[in-house]
Amino acid sequence: MAFEKVLTRNVGNRDALTVKGYRQGGGYEGLAQALKMEPDAVIEEVKKSGLRGRGGAGFPAGLKWSFIPKGKDKPKYLVCNADESEPGTFKDRLLMEHDPHQLIEGCAICCWAVQANNCYIYIRGEYTDAADILERALKDAYEEGLLGGSVLGSGFKLDMYVHRGAGAYICGEETGMLESLEGKRGQPRVKPPFPAVVGAFGSPTVINNVETLANVPHIITRGADWFKAIGTDERNTGPKLYAISGHVERPGTYEHPIGVTFREMLEAAGGMYRGGNLKAFIPGGASAPILKADQIDIKMDFDTVAKAGSMLGSAAVIVMDDTTCMVRSVARLSKFFNHESCGQCTPCREGTNWMELLLKRLEHGEGRESDKQLLLSICKNIGGNSLCALGDAAIGPVRSLVEQFPEEIDRHVREGGCPFPHRRHFQNGA
Amino acid sequence: MPKVTINDRTVEVEAGTNLVEAGLKVGVQIPHYCYHPRLTVVGQCRMCLVKIEGMPKLQAACSTPVVKDGMVVRTDVPEVEEATQGMMEFFLINHPLDCPICDQAGECGLQDYSFKHGVAYSRFQYDDKRTYPGRERIPLGANVLLNMNRCIQCTRCVRFTQEIAGTGELGFFNRGARTEIGTFPGKELSNPLATCVVDICPVGALTSTRFRFAERVWYLDKRPSLCTGCEVGCNITLEHRRGDIKRYKPRFNPEVNDYWMCDYGRATFERYKQIPRLQAARLQGSAASASWQQTLDAVHHGLSTADGPVVFLGSPNLSTEEAWLFAQLADAVGSPHRSVPVDIGPERTIPNLKGGITGREAAPNRRGAELAGLSPGEGETIDVDDLILGGAAERCGALVVCDSDFSATAYSPETIEKLRRAKFLVVFGWADSPLAKVADVAIPTPTHAEKDGTFVNVEWRLQKFERAYPAPGQVRPAVDVLVELLARFDPQRWGKLDTPAVFDRIAAALPAFAGLSWRTLPATGVALNVPQAQPTAAATVNPETSQGQGGVA
Repeated sequence: MAFEKVLTRNVGNRDALTVKGYRQGGGYEGLAQALKMEPDAVIEEVKKSGLRGRGGAGFPAGLKWSFIPKGKDKPKYLVCNADESEPGTFKDRLLMEHDPHQLIEGCAICCWAVQANNCYIYIRGEYTDAADILERALKDAYEEGLLGGSVLGSGFKLDMYVHRGAGAYICGEETGMLESLEGKRGQPRVKPPFPAVVGAFGSPTVINNVETLANVPHIITRGADWFKAIGTDERNTGPKLYAISGHVERPGTYEHPIGVTFREMLEAAGGMYRGGNLKAFIPGGASAPILKADQIDIKMDFDTVAKAGSMLGSAAVIVMDDTTCMVRSVARLSKFFNHESCGQCTPCREGTNWMELLLKRLEHGEGRESDKQLLLSICKNIGGNSLCALGDAAIGPVRSLVEQFPEEIDRHVREGGCPFPHRRHFQNGA
Repeated sequence: MPKVTINDRTVEVEAGTNLVEAGLKVGVQIPHYCYHPRLTVVGQCRMCLVKIEGMPKLQAACSTPVVKDGMVVRTDVPEVEEATQGMMEFFLINHPLDCPICDQAGECGLQDYSFKHGVAYSRFQYDDKRTYPGRERIPLGANVLLNMNRCIQCTRCVRFTQEIAGTGELGFFNRGARTEIGTFPGKELSNPLATCVVDICPVGALTSTRFRFAERVWYLDKRPSLCTGCEVGCNITLEHRRGDIKRYKPRFNPEVNDYWMCDYGRATFERYKQIPRLQAARLQGSAASASWQQTLDAVHHGLSTADGPVVFLGSPNLSTEEAWLFAQLADAVGSPHRSVPVDIGPERTIPNLKGGITGREAAPNRRGAELAGLSPGEGETIDVDDLILGGAAERCGALVVCDSDFSATAYSPETIEKLRRAKFLVVFGWADSPLAKVADVAIPTPTHAEKDGTFVNVEWRLQKFERAYPAPGQVRPAVDVLVELLARFDPQRWGKLDTPAVFDRIAAALPAFAGLSWRTLPATGVALNVPQAQPTAAATVNPETSQGQGGVA
């Protein structure tokens, strides 16, 4: 299928970093068009497009926008989630570094749709280049009258800020992000109330991922029907960025229509590293349960992956060949979640720590076969019981390790250590 | 109001009530650590997970409000019990289990919920527990000690300092399994309410330096009482072992101190241990203690044959009943010379739902003593200023000091010297103070822990307190002693009376107390019907006119 790149069309085009250059490719036409529409009509169009959140949960974006209460008694906010920090995920970085105005335009349209006069782009602290580029782009946009007191002369007031995080995965959780934005310790809030009602500074707030917002200008200029035509079905529409890493020849971010099969994706990335054999892959970032090689023809969209027992998440695909020790890999992921747990709620704080200890022990050959049952039981006690989704995220890889690779755990126990040769560059891990 | 059904029991609650509170209404206790009715709901301990019909996942009861009819909640299903058990296990895997040497043992949330929801074995078998080396006994301030190893990260203390004390000294540091509680750099937990964090800490992480290792809590006898530190009248639980007070803890009263009390008040009982105790009556010039017969005869004789005015120096520490009996005694000898001195201390504010209650007077019952009749009578009277600032004691035929510990000035040699100039000096009191030592007759009375009585606080709220333990030595209830003394003046009127009977007599005699009876006094106290025009300065009001003023039914 000949697929015309949408989100990444400006990648490599350095002119697009300026407003002028971005406009040459038809940029900011979506914003101009949106400002001529009623805000509700913009929301309707996005709803019709079927655009689902690209941050991980896949919540319909238009629906989210429609939850924002009308009326002017409180200010409204848009917070763009650019705190991309899940291991394996690096798609938003590409969008921000190569096409910042696409994001700014998407944010501006969303702000018009929900009548928010302030927008924060909460960017991961380590993304210093992306933050600098965005800040330059914002300055440019202000100078060109695209932001500020009157957006494109429409009278609509819009201020946009880049807010840099300080290095916490949990600040990618939407309410943790809001706390951090407000200057507090970044830890999730209890829900309800949801951010659409009580969000940033106690006001209604929309929170969308970078990629979600980057889709919006195209939906406005080319129409919901065009957007819907891309993808698997009614519920999985539009172009999608896939960040592929691990044992592939050319790791990187690739744009495909949503629902591309894993096999096609792998081929686009040059196939397995040095022709190795696929053992397993994680389809949606570190928190997604692992899929085995027999799922190679799976369609990479929200619903199909969910049906297979995993999740598309942020579409960060981690590929592992048969030299990979699953116990070691999952131990490393557990270490990440333990390190990043904010520590406020009990199951996540204690459970992630316990799982890491057990997995490390298994990897070092000091585990027992009964640890499989224990790990499953810990997963059960964390699953659904934690305050935010981090607890659920942490059990994804662990549960799939025990359920799908039990024989590998048993080998570790039997042989009193890891049966796999360790590649040098992985040795700093678990 | 919406109805909610919890474990098949339906109850109507105010919209917005959370499920923990709704559960209490129908007798279902939903376990919780981080939830506290006065603190922001954070839903982070995850102990209160319940099953709500129609919801796929278990929900935290504390953060789930009842908003509309028809919510059906279950806590007695296996999935809830499993989850609660799972949380208990998480809490305990890294807990030091040092209960034998922990001050919290016996009143510990972890112990209680382990007993109810825990499992009898550990699956955390071969790893070292997480510890916080060097953070086992960190003083957060003068009165509070932190043992981080025991902490369950519920953040009640953090929220207390932010939301109730308003000082925000405490915070959460680090993250994940390394999360810890601490003071912000350069700060210490030194706000006036600091020790409340020990009360609300569900485990032994925060302990009181004062109570540390003082007693195993299961040996404590716990009695409802009132704090005597100031005129706020905080409700307390007085905890003692065989008459040795170990600590005061705040007792919930939404009308007064809510769940809180100040650190100053918690230390006030130490006065009872620091000052020597008057354990038996004593007549001047006699080394041995006197019998009650001799003592009361001597007082009766001294007062009835006084050569000059008989002056009563009252005390804001008296119970209302004692004060009334002293006033009756003054009536019996026809003396208008009465006054209640009071020390003005630093302002202390205890937060409550109405914003707070502030006390300045450093004693609990100036108002009650004055209402009961110890404010100056008609005409030219000798009051506390005349006695202590002037030299009026010289003119006194007899001086009755109702409480040897009536004020800080009672310990000043000048005051003692001045008061001693009275021709006949009677001193009542629990303290064998230097003033009691020079009295012609010294009469022992119980401390407030050893008697029944009432105090009237700064908002004119009458509150009852009860005897926690018997008085030592030959000390008898002051009420008994005074009634016996009064009987010597008027045997017809004064038979045997205990405190409740005296209170009921006051209720019959004084308009401000009309309609009240000891037996039916509510636990949260009762607001007296006293005109707001009552002056706050001591010893300036004529009891006749103050009682006769409008608004008193």
